[in-house]
Amino acid sequence: MSALTREKAALRLADEHPAPEPSKHLRAGWYALLAVLLIAGGAAIFHRTVNGLATTNLTSITPWGAWIAFYIYFVGLSAGAFLLSSLIYVFGMTRFERLGRMALLTALVAMIVALSFVLLDLGRMERALSALVYFNWLSPLAWEMRFYLIYILLLAAELWFAMRVDLVRRADRSRLARWLSFGSKSLDTARDHRMLRILGTIGVPIAIFGVHGGTGTIFAIVKARGMWFSALTPIVFIVSALVSGTALLALLYILRQKALKRPVDGGMVADLGRLLGAFLLVDLGLLFYEYLVPLLSMAPHDTGVMHLMMEGPYAWTFWILQLGIGMVAPAIILMTRLRESVPLTAVAALMVVVGIVGVRFNIVVPPLITPALEGLPAGQYFPSAVEWWSSAGIIAMGLLLFSLAADLLPVDEDVHVIGGTAHD
Amino acid sequence: MTAAAQDPGSRKEPYWVMVIDLQKCIGCDTCTVSCKAENRTPPGISYNVVMQMEIGEFPHTRRTYVPRPCMQCDRPPCVGVCPVGATYKGESGVVIIDDDRCIGCRYCIAACPYGARSFDFGENYDEMIAFTEVQAPEYGVEQGPRRKGEAPIGTVRKCTFCLHRINRGEEPACVETCIGDARYFGDLNDPDSAVAKLAASPRAFRLKEEMGTQPRVIYLK
Repeated sequence: MSALTREKAALRLADEHPAPEPSKHLRAGWYALLAVLLIAGGAAIFHRTVNGLATTNLTSITPWGAWIAFYIYFVGLSAGAFLLSSLIYVFGMTRFERLGRMALLTALVAMIVALSFVLLDLGRMERALSALVYFNWLSPLAWEMRFYLIYILLLAAELWFAMRVDLVRRADRSRLARWLSFGSKSLDTARDHRMLRILGTIGVPIAIFGVHGGTGTIFAIVKARGMWFSALTPIVFIVSALVSGTALLALLYILRQKALKRPVDGGMVADLGRLLGAFLLVDLGLLFYEYLVPLLSMAPHDTGVMHLMMEGPYAWTFWILQLGIGMVAPAIILMTRLRESVPLTAVAALMVVVGIVGVRFNIVVPPLITPALEGLPAGQYFPSAVEWWSSAGIIAMGLLLFSLAADLLPVDEDVHVIGGTAHD
Repeated sequence: MTAAAQDPGSRKEPYWVMVIDLQKCIGCDTCTVSCKAENRTPPGISYNVVMQMEIGEFPHTRRTYVPRPCMQCDRPPCVGVCPVGATYKGESGVVIIDDDRCIGCRYCIAACPYGARSFDFGENYDEMIAFTEVQAPEYGVEQGPRRKGEAPIGTVRKCTFCLHRINRGEEPACVETCIGDARYFGDLNDPDSAVAKLAASPRAFRLKEEMGTQPRVIYLK
């Protein structure tokens, strides 16, 4: 995308929105930052592609690390964001309507990012499509690859129906909108909303059981590893997806409104905060049982992993990152009157989004440090520079996709235009 | 083994098992070394290791050595999780990895309760002359020279019970070279075989039996 088109698109956006545009410096700075991360990440990915997984700190004892942690992190963000969109399109919670398209876009981009992490993690990346050609019906991973694909197609379709009418409206001014409207001419949104409700209804079980519950199942069925092998694992995945997705959307909404110098809907943010607080409470409750049952049953393979997580060299990621920043501090903000402040809600949401990274690492890594068999050496793992930079690059790619889409597509068109016919 | 060889029509496939007598194992690691020599495994990959366990409190400690090849489980968790079916139970009863199909996702490594699988990161013993010129014929398939970027690099590897040796009527390298004669290999379905008699001993046990993996490696306490 050339700078010129972006500029034009920005101008077009400005035509439609009398609201003030973001400062040119902010936009330029943002894209420059993404460019730097993309270049650094691209170099790391190139190094990894040429020299293989030897560039990581992964071993045969700890075969999964940062990339798999980020993969389940982004699958969670995606499922959570999608489920929030379904509150609007399926369950008729119109007060979140202005988040709808952004939620779908976020879900789509997060899923692309998640699959990029999986691809990068494969020992033989050129065989990635084999995962769709060959099938082992006993393997949750084989099912997941198919569910992810269906889910991505569904997200793209839903996003298109959510934006269609505005693409049609822009078609005479924007070539991109004309092309993306696929010849659709109608300005009637009733059919769009029916389609959104149908697709959303199909999508909810796919997102819950197929995408994120299924991702949890990948870990839950591994009886060889402590703390994974639990029927609670898929449920924890689903609830933490709701937590992280809601937090990310609240954060993105507030940041975008501020960056675009638009007014923030305080009431809606407070509602989002309440929702996030409720999800956090359920998550904390699940965490309580997840740890209480193995501790009291003294199952050695589980308690070994818990000791490592709570007292090992990276215990800070559990106590400070996962529990403190990710759960307790935001819960305090969101459970009290502090949530009435928009900046504090944004801080709470940011803390959750960052803290869940700790959750994801602690799901993946500690059970793979503890030896599978007593007598084998324990693992040792901290991501290598290649792993960190490539991760930064992939995340920057996701942010770039999101920013370009938000700049060029009617992602947050004024909802009043279509809101009237939404759910009557 | 001999009975099955003499009367090949009586059974389809022998039920290959390995018996390891822990009282005879002295922890010399000859099995590990001969396995590496036989299978020409690169650095970081050992199909067989000898685990050490210390029992009792100092100074009254005793050491037990537990050699650990692949268990060739009859209900292998690694096979169930493979998304592309690249690993499967072969006719010989050996759990096979098709390294032309393996995508290198390493789910099987996470799922193996015995830590018996390794990922080939592509490292070589570069100080050893001609290390890359020949590879072991894994599962009886000739691999050709070891070349950067070619399988099995980037895929998962494990003990094959030396299937290429079994196929020509030899015992696995670790069994043949064990200096204490702690390892036995043979057909469990042959009631006259040494392994069948030893497996019936009250000393016999298998690792993590409670997991229901039904390993084909039997230990003697």
